[in-house]
Amino acid sequence: MPRIVNIVKKGLYRDSVHLLHISDHVRRLDGVLNAMIAMGTKLNKEILAREGLLSSEGSDAGENDLIIALKISDLADLNVILAKVEDLLSKTPTQDLEIYSDLDYALDTNRDINLALVSVPGQYAKEVVMKLLDRGLHIHLFSDHVPIEHEVEMKRYAIEKGLLLMGPEAGTSIISGVAIAFANQVRRGPVGIISASGTGLQEVSILLHRIGLGISHGIGVGGRDLSKEVGGIMTLFSIDVLERDDMTEVIIIISKPPSKEVIERVLDRISRGEKRYVTCFVGGDIVDLDPRLKGRISQAKTLHGAVLETVKIYRPDLYRDAYNKLWIEDRLLVEISEATSRLREDQRYIRGLFTGGTLAYEAMLILSEYVRDIYSNTPLKEDQRLLDPWRSVGNTIIDLGGGEFTEGRAHPMIDPGIRVMRIIEEASDPEVAVIMLDFVLGYGAHPDPVGVHADAIKRAINIARSSGRDLVILAHVVGSEEDPQIASAQEDMLRKLGVIVLPTNATMAVSAAMIASRRADQKLLLDFQRKFIEIGL
Amino acid sequence: MSVWRDSVVSKESREINIDKALQLLRSRPRVIGIGLEHFSRELKRQGVRVIHVNWQPRPRLEKDLEDILSKIL
Repeated sequence: MPRIVNIVKKGLYRDSVHLLHISDHVRRLDGVLNAMIAMGTKLNKEILAREGLLSSEGSDAGENDLIIALKISDLADLNVILAKVEDLLSKTPTQDLEIYSDLDYALDTNRDINLALVSVPGQYAKEVVMKLLDRGLHIHLFSDHVPIEHEVEMKRYAIEKGLLLMGPEAGTSIISGVAIAFANQVRRGPVGIISASGTGLQEVSILLHRIGLGISHGIGVGGRDLSKEVGGIMTLFSIDVLERDDMTEVIIIISKPPSKEVIERVLDRISRGEKRYVTCFVGGDIVDLDPRLKGRISQAKTLHGAVLETVKIYRPDLYRDAYNKLWIEDRLLVEISEATSRLREDQRYIRGLFTGGTLAYEAMLILSEYVRDIYSNTPLKEDQRLLDPWRSVGNTIIDLGGGEFTEGRAHPMIDPGIRVMRIIEEASDPEVAVIMLDFVLGYGAHPDPVGVHADAIKRAINIARSSGRDLVILAHVVGSEEDPQIASAQEDMLRKLGVIVLPTNATMAVSAAMIASRRADQKLLLDFQRKFIEIGL
Repeated sequence: MSVWRDSVVSKESREINIDKALQLLRSRPRVIGIGLEHFSRELKRQGVRVIHVNWQPRPRLEKDLEDILSKIL
């Protein structure tokens, strides 16, 4: 008879990605029916309970304790399995990495180091970062849950020392062609990006790469940099740096809408600059600019639009070709229209399961023009916040990278566990017409993002079919041919599964709107173009 | 030397040096990873010079032990 066993290791810490690999390994052992090895955060205990893996011992674990949760076929195997788990926990996964246990010693013996990539739990970030700034290092701070007053203090200190502090919550940077944390392999070129959004930087750099342009540097400044509290400290500093960088000729600034005061400060700074600029405050208003700046500074409302505006002001000769490469071709429109015609009348709703926060936000912004009420864990309007982020209602867009889904767990770009469960749940809802999925490739991300979702996608389609329904699944792949996962291979795999693949996140959102509103036609596409792609400045 | 007259960071006007940041952008980064080993491994895969610090939270004292210590000290 299957048995659930939880063993709690008090005060033992291992990082979430390490534990994900160990869990995968343990699940494949003889006699193991299911397993999860995780820190005892509230979220992990909830997932253990959902998977039927939680016992009373596990329930009592705290967030600094490690839980070994096993479902095994025979209790007699337990000792052998546990010995293996202990062995895996004691080993570090990589042998070829130069690993130190003492930070000062590591830096004293490697004096050529110039950048620190910090991903310790947020409450410890300031202590580590201040020490690194004192040692003269630039920093990419990946950690989240860093108090905003710590962010202001750290950034002010960094600037005093003339150092870049990218983050906190910086998912992505590209420095001299090197992908830091989650970033894609893109060619080098004249476009510099300053971004308060990791996936915004990834989508824009990928779309620029696909239309033939390249990136000088992508500086991730952290999601709150342009907030009133932080005041755009690192964005303004980065503008100054890129103004002097020889390779950079045009600069894109990406953020959710900043505070009014900060927008003014940024616009004032770039209007005094010499390079060309595109601002992309996703969802923000277009500001009246001095007509003399036209042609040097442009504005966009979406990531897709920002890429086209960049081409417009920097390489107008490439515009037509770039526009077409990022647009929904006729063949795709036919496919979308046919899929729509197979839906039953009561299939009305859109469900978006995103690993990228700004991709979710861009999708909601576009959808809000065409469908009513969009619920989310990161809603456009506060009254549309989901009461329970684990349960979709009506049209729902979920950012699976949100704090409620990542506490003590690896980011969904690495750990697909929660999204896989959620795809099945959405497919089981008879009112769902279309599911949107983003697949982010590149360094940092899962080695086979589509492959690891393939079973769930097949099951989702079958669940709908067995109830006499069709289900449309849309996807957008944020990746290049040079990424380790190879974008075209991932896209082909999706098409074979029956998924419709769109060239940009924005075109995926408008496709979902066409399907849910049963208006899969050129008219809606032209409206979308007018509202979000060409703002006619 | 490139300077930026700073109005954001502090009310007083101060000159901010951007030379160090420019140096970083003109070189290929040489990285120390602190925290997730996964990211350091991904840098290594790109052929980047990277070292890693196996960071651990400081051990936390049990609550009652902390209470006793706070009374003694």
